[in-house]
Amino acid sequence: MKQFTKILRFELKNYFSNKIFIGVTIFLIIAIIGVMFFPRISESLSSSDNPPQTDELPIMIVSGNNVDFINEGFTNSFPDYNVVIIDESIEEIKERVYSGSASCAFVFESITKYTYFVNNLSMYDQNTYVADEILQELYRISAMTENGISPDDASEILSVQITSQTEILGKDQIENYFYTYIMIFALYMVIILYGQMIATNVATEKSSRAMELLITSANPVSMMFGKVIASCTAGFIQIAGVFGTALIAFNMNKEYWSDNELINSIFNMPAYLFVYMLVFFVLGFFIYAFMYGAIGSTASKLEDINTSVMPVTLIFVIAFMIVMMSIISNDVDTSLMKICSFIPFTSPMAMFTRLAMSSVPAFEIVVSIVLLMVSVLLIGYIAAKIYRIGVLLYGAPPKISSILKAIKNK
Amino acid sequence: MKLELLNIKKSFGNKEVLNGINICAEGGKALGILGRNGAGKTTTIRILMNVFPADSGNIIFDGREIDYNTVSFGYLPEERGLYPKKKIIDQLIYFAELKDISRKNAINAVDYWLERLCMSEYRNKRLDTLSKGNQQKIQLITALAHDPKIIILDEPFSGLDPVNALLLKEVIKEEIAKGKIVLFSSHQMNYIEEFCDSIAIMNGGRITLSGDISSIKRNYPRNKLCVKSSQYSQIMDEYGQICSAEDNGSLILHMDSPDKKMEIMKNITEKFDVDEIKIAEPTLNDIFVEYTGNQI
Repeated sequence: MKQFTKILRFELKNYFSNKIFIGVTIFLIIAIIGVMFFPRISESLSSSDNPPQTDELPIMIVSGNNVDFINEGFTNSFPDYNVVIIDESIEEIKERVYSGSASCAFVFESITKYTYFVNNLSMYDQNTYVADEILQELYRISAMTENGISPDDASEILSVQITSQTEILGKDQIENYFYTYIMIFALYMVIILYGQMIATNVATEKSSRAMELLITSANPVSMMFGKVIASCTAGFIQIAGVFGTALIAFNMNKEYWSDNELINSIFNMPAYLFVYMLVFFVLGFFIYAFMYGAIGSTASKLEDINTSVMPVTLIFVIAFMIVMMSIISNDVDTSLMKICSFIPFTSPMAMFTRLAMSSVPAFEIVVSIVLLMVSVLLIGYIAAKIYRIGVLLYGAPPKISSILKAIKNK
Repeated sequence: MKLELLNIKKSFGNKEVLNGINICAEGGKALGILGRNGAGKTTTIRILMNVFPADSGNIIFDGREIDYNTVSFGYLPEERGLYPKKKIIDQLIYFAELKDISRKNAINAVDYWLERLCMSEYRNKRLDTLSKGNQQKIQLITALAHDPKIIILDEPFSGLDPVNALLLKEVIKEEIAKGKIVLFSSHQMNYIEEFCDSIAIMNGGRITLSGDISSIKRNYPRNKLCVKSSQYSQIMDEYGQICSAEDNGSLILHMDSPDKKMEIMKNITEKFDVDEIKIAEPTLNDIFVEYTGNQI
């Protein structure tokens, strides 16, 4: 135990004195502050730079037949435009739009036929859709009036409002979608990055031959657990720093994000789900970190690491893909997902996704967590055994069968 | 203090690496473990240090089965290596602490050894900024800082310049004088002869020769004569068949039996102008080659 704390302290110090680790953490914190303050900054910039523009609305010309009938509807439906009736030739109207003195123009042949003039058509230009709706409504009112219904009645019939209410008994998948997506992605990134770091760390000790001294100085179980728990702690401190900063910055700018459902849903994650996330995050991290550590011990050179870790990375990517596909297709209770929520390699992501986006019976959660905990201890034990054998093997990376044989023979 | 390895056997798969090793080392003395590459020296050391267990056999310390919680080892491995990118002081303290000494004592011990080996100025430097010889001195500190009872030095002099070699010799002699058990593995026989009272020669996982160096030499067949003479070629002509030339200019005469010593000495001294004639004692190198030449 004494050795374990010494190894843990040494490994943690390595992380916190590593310039790349510090640099990446600071960069992420600054980036997240930038993102969270962006709406406030952009609003203050636009309000200070262009104050007169709010008073001067762009001009929308309406011209041609029936313009008096159409004008009121257009004025009401295009509040961002100054709708002006102009009786000029098409060429003159085109010239006004082209020169920029008017933003756009509708020239009507009849109430159901018009030409829209605009200089550069924006991707987001919705004017013709809005105009079509107004014109359809006007046409219907006009037709109903001709058949003896008063314009007010006709208008009321056409604009009838339906009132409805949705009561969510389980989970709101739309709201939970975003934070589940982000948390699964964060878990994926952290495990892949830190897993690789552990494997590289072990392989570096081996290739620099510091291992010769380490294996005669410390117990391999302490070494393996010390390394994995140190990297887990470093990873969590990094994530806590980034997400904590994001939360503080979000609360400082809450009013600017009020109309952004995505961001709001992430920061309004229920507390119980956050606890589950931590549990699955830690256990999932350990499972993969032990495997990466054990594999790192079998590589003699740093160049071998990438090929050696491939099988573990592949298992993890498959788990990630299964979960991501189910999140995207919005069906997280498929049989495959249910099976995956009990397999230790996939359950951290699969069970968390189901917890976030569906209703899972309590016993399933307990079984999944217990299985995961037992697996962490088992894989940690096996990883330490492989580590003890692996660090003494130099030359070509050994096959899995030969490592298992060596453990058995020992 | 007395350390005994009794009938240690070890196999990896079907390959038998150690086949009944018996070694005995005492405090205040150095034991040289010799053997060609692959003879089983490193495996023996690793079993001794509990990196992995032996298939059978016992390791006895002071008459009882060794207790790794109380018996500490200092090890200078042949394959040198520490953390190249880390500060020297940090890693030395780390390795000392792993040997179960307090942080405060670790700092004091490391500072003492840095001073003793004239390395204090590099205390806060990164290891990879040092020369190979200096890196080796830093590595030596990891073997000594925690004041171990048993010190295992594997090729300690390789890569050291004569001044540093002299410094290391002094340090090793001091440790031996403190009554520690020193196990010394090297292919540089002059160092073995200088430090070790006894040797164990390994070949193919067995101890092929062990004991006190002077007794081994005394018991060695005294059937060689060493002759130094200005009439070098004439002696060669007369004793061509049994005669061989050494690099230092002397001649070695291989006799069928030690009994012929007086007869041949008389003959040579009467016939030739001889500067020196004596029984040629075997060097450790000769003994090593003889006992390991045909690797099993």
